[in-house]
Amino acid sequence: MTRTPFTDSPVVTTTVRLLAPFVLTYGLFTLFHGTTSVGGGFQGGVVAAAMVVTIAFALGIRQTVDWIDARALWALVVAGPVAFGVVALAGIVFGGAFLQFDVLPIAKPSVYATEAIEIGIGATVAAVVVVLFVRIADGYSEPTDPTSPTGTAEEERADD
Amino acid sequence: MTAIPEATLSVVLLTFVLVVALLTAVVRDVLTAIVVFAAYSLGLAILWVLYRAPDVGLTEAAVGAGVTTALLLLAISGAVRPVSSGVFADRRSVRPRSVLVVGLVAGGLLLTVPALPPVGSVETPAFGAVAEFYLEDAVERGIDNAVTAVLVVYRGFDTFGEVAVVFTAAVAALAILGREVTG
Repeated sequence: MTRTPFTDSPVVTTTVRLLAPFVLTYGLFTLFHGTTSVGGGFQGGVVAAAMVVTIAFALGIRQTVDWIDARALWALVVAGPVAFGVVALAGIVFGGAFLQFDVLPIAKPSVYATEAIEIGIGATVAAVVVVLFVRIADGYSEPTDPTSPTGTAEEERADD
Repeated sequence: MTAIPEATLSVVLLTFVLVVALLTAVVRDVLTAIVVFAAYSLGLAILWVLYRAPDVGLTEAAVGAGVTTALLLLAISGAVRPVSSGVFADRRSVRPRSVLVVGLVAGGLLLTVPALPPVGSVETPAFGAVAEFYLEDAVERGIDNAVTAVLVVYRGFDTFGEVAVVFTAAVAALAILGREVTG
C-alpha cells in the first residue's frame, strides 16, 4: 500500500467552498436557458452533479453521502421521465398528437413545453450521476487520519 | 483565437488527443491512466468547441473530464497500487493478439473515412432541406438554440428514450449494487 494519510488541504477546501455557489448557478443557468443559449437539461444537470461530486471530494465523501436525502434523490431521478410523459400526453389531451406542443393552450407553447422537459431532464441526469456516485462511494473507506481521535471510516460504515 | 489559425489549432489538439489516448493504454499506474484519460476528454471538449459544437463540448467536459474521472477515482480507491517501477507497463504484459484486434478495428474504421463528405461541402446531409426547416421553424416557435429545438421539439421521441436510458441506469445500478440509497 502506497496510500498517503488523509490530509485536509485548506487550499482545496477553500477553493471548493468559494467556487461551489458559482458553479451551481452556472449549472442552473445552463439548465434554464437551454432554449436561448448553449446547453440544456443534460448539460446543466451534469454540471450541477459534478459540483456535488467535487464538494464530496474536497470536504469528505462519507459526510456528503450521509448528507444527501435519499427520498429527494429518488424524486429527482423520476422527475425527467414523469415531466416528459406529462408534457407528451398533454398534447393528446388538447386534441393533438403525442409530443405535439403547439396545441397546448398557453403562450409560446413550444418554448414552455421544452423548458418543462429540460428541467425534468436536468433533475434526472443530476440525480442519476449522484446515485451512481453514492453507490460507488459505498465501497469507499476514508484514508485513516492519524491525528483524528474518532477512528476510521470502516467503523463508521458498520454503524449504518 | 484569431492569432492562431484554426487548422493549426485543430492539428495540435488532435495530436494531443491521440497521444493521451495511447498513453491511457500504456501507462503502468491506474491513477496515472485515469488522469491522462481526463486530459483526453478535456482535449476532445476543446475540439468540439473549436468545431462549433459548444453543446457537445460542455457535455464532454462535464461528463468525460469531470464526473467519469471522479467515479473512476472512487472506484480504484480500494485498490492496492503497485510499487512503481517505471512509467510504462511491462512490455511482456502486452498481448500481441490484443494489439492485432485493436489495429484491425482502428484500420476498419479508418477505411470508412473516405466515404464521408468533405468538410463544408454543400452535399452534406446536414445542409439538406430538413435542416433548413429546423432552423426557420425553431425561430418561429421562439427557440433560439436550434440544438435544443431538435432534441426536444423535432426529435422528442428519441430524447424521451434517452431519458428512459438514464433513468434505467440508476435503477440498474441500484438493483445490482444491492440496497437502497442510505439517507
